[in-house]
Amino acid sequence: MIEEIRTAVQNEFSGSKSSKRTAFLKKLDVPGIVFLLCGIITILIIVFLIAFIFYTALPTFQNEGLGFITGINWDYSQHEYGALALIAGTIVLTVTTIAIACPLSVLTAIFLAEYSPPALTKVLRPMIELLVGIPSVVYGIFGLFVLEKTFRYNINPSISSVLGFIPIFRNLQPSTGTGILLASTVLSIMILPTITSLSVEALNSVPREYKEASISLGATKWETIKKVVVPVASSGMITAVVLGIMRAMGETMAVVMLLGGQMHIPGSFLDTAYAMTSKILNDIGYYVADDEARSALFAIAAVLIAFEVITVGAARYIGGRKKWN
Amino acid sequence: MELKKKRFLEEKTFIVITGLAAAITSLLLILIVGKIALESLPALNLYFLTTAEVDTPGFGQAIGNSIVGTIYLSLLSVIFAMPISIGTAIFLKKYARESVLTRTVRFLIDVLAGMPSIVLGVFGMLFIVIYLKPLTGGFSLISGALAMAILILPVIEKAAEEAIGTVPKELEEGSIALGGTKWTTIRKITIPYALSGIMTGIVLGIGRSAEESAIVVLTAGYSQFYPVLETLQNPKMPFGVQLGPFQEPVGALSISVYHMFQFPNIVPRANGFAAALVLIVIVMVINLLARLILWRWKIGQ
Repeated sequence: MIEEIRTAVQNEFSGSKSSKRTAFLKKLDVPGIVFLLCGIITILIIVFLIAFIFYTALPTFQNEGLGFITGINWDYSQHEYGALALIAGTIVLTVTTIAIACPLSVLTAIFLAEYSPPALTKVLRPMIELLVGIPSVVYGIFGLFVLEKTFRYNINPSISSVLGFIPIFRNLQPSTGTGILLASTVLSIMILPTITSLSVEALNSVPREYKEASISLGATKWETIKKVVVPVASSGMITAVVLGIMRAMGETMAVVMLLGGQMHIPGSFLDTAYAMTSKILNDIGYYVADDEARSALFAIAAVLIAFEVITVGAARYIGGRKKWN
Repeated sequence: MELKKKRFLEEKTFIVITGLAAAITSLLLILIVGKIALESLPALNLYFLTTAEVDTPGFGQAIGNSIVGTIYLSLLSVIFAMPISIGTAIFLKKYARESVLTRTVRFLIDVLAGMPSIVLGVFGMLFIVIYLKPLTGGFSLISGALAMAILILPVIEKAAEEAIGTVPKELEEGSIALGGTKWTTIRKITIPYALSGIMTGIVLGIGRSAEESAIVVLTAGYSQFYPVLETLQNPKMPFGVQLGPFQEPVGALSISVYHMFQFPNIVPRANGFAAALVLIVIVMVINLLARLILWRWKIGQ
């Protein structure tokens, strides 16, 4: 009897306790806290990642100072780390890639958005968008095993013989087809789908009334595109190109295979070069246990992050927050 | 009259130029896929696709282990990235008020989205593979998946945020007017409505990690064996147990393709291209799936 009363009393108490607890939990908004935690974890991951890279790179920046960016000699045995050749290689590669890819993809986008019959657009657009997914390592072996011979025996010699009187078009490495021109040709094919599909999106978002107004004033279609459509869509298109720049700059696998990998400042567009990303990939496996060399390689990664943050900032400034992928 | 002719000519010229550009672009892309398919024909057979490399007489003779490894890696990385990225998206869209702070958060996510994969690769190699070795087992499936989860976190987050943004305000307000709390509204209205968009992001994330190569080389290592569930004695690990396949190196298709570049005289040319073709097909099927989900969703609306 007493036992029963005791258990009843206990039940009563624990029940009231738990209902108090649920009231407390209801006020607490558990899901909101969980989502807040998710956000905090995301931020912590990003901040930790960037801080980790810069912290590991710090000794090199302290030892080399500005010499890391202006020095040309990269030698593990002499403890000298100057990344100028790598930075130059990446910049020349990126500029050449954009010079090839930009006109082609922007014109393609204008054709798809304005001129092409709807049936053709329906086939071409999904096709081009699906090709965004071709992995970069595949572009790399395609360039190396299929295009390299053509560049070595046909394209590089003919460019050199026609334009060779200009120093930047001389064929400095006739024995190989790899080099800036091959790498940036392949890279530009790689970023074509990205720039094209984002530009088509920007062109399609131009209000119909603008075009109709221009045409009703007697402008031809091309004049409408030139004076109305492209200026209105320009911020979206510039964002697309900036995205292309970022992809070309950060590309690793294809560049390792196609750039030639010689540590010097490239003398012409047909010359070989060495990019920042490929230096990291090639050397990190051998030097990850060596504190000083590892720090130097992480310093390259830190410079890459700095470039990337500047580009992202520029893109956000120009185009607001757009889709990146 | 002269002016009219000139304008007409200009119009025609630019139609031809843009048309040519479009033709070149599409032809280039068709040419690449076609050439790779053609080169890979001699190597494509069931033995090549389903045998682990270790059971073959030579290097690069089969890619069964790599296909399974790629699938494991991309699924596991999505499982790691999914809860955090979707949670962040819901927080940014439904809980946080628009302020300098949320703008900074979005900027940081954009920075992560544009981060060169080699940077994530070296971070993964030093921090996840070397410093966290007792947990991850060094070069392993779990190291690779963790590093790639960072890569695809912004992909899923952005897709989820965009999908949540398309949920009509009236539906959510209706739920709240009927006495629903914020959480019930999110659970019963927002997430079901945005589910297809979120799914699209997840599938795109799977595709993104399947095509990644630089990170895999630096964090997952490579194994010629099929990944199998097993426990191994290893005194260096906590409790002295190493759990396969999670704490063991794993193969990946992108690495099989990379081997063709590293060992051009050992890996037969056709086999390298066949691995590349299989990788392209897998990524394209995944992307097609994402488009299909999005397409069905648009029709449903």
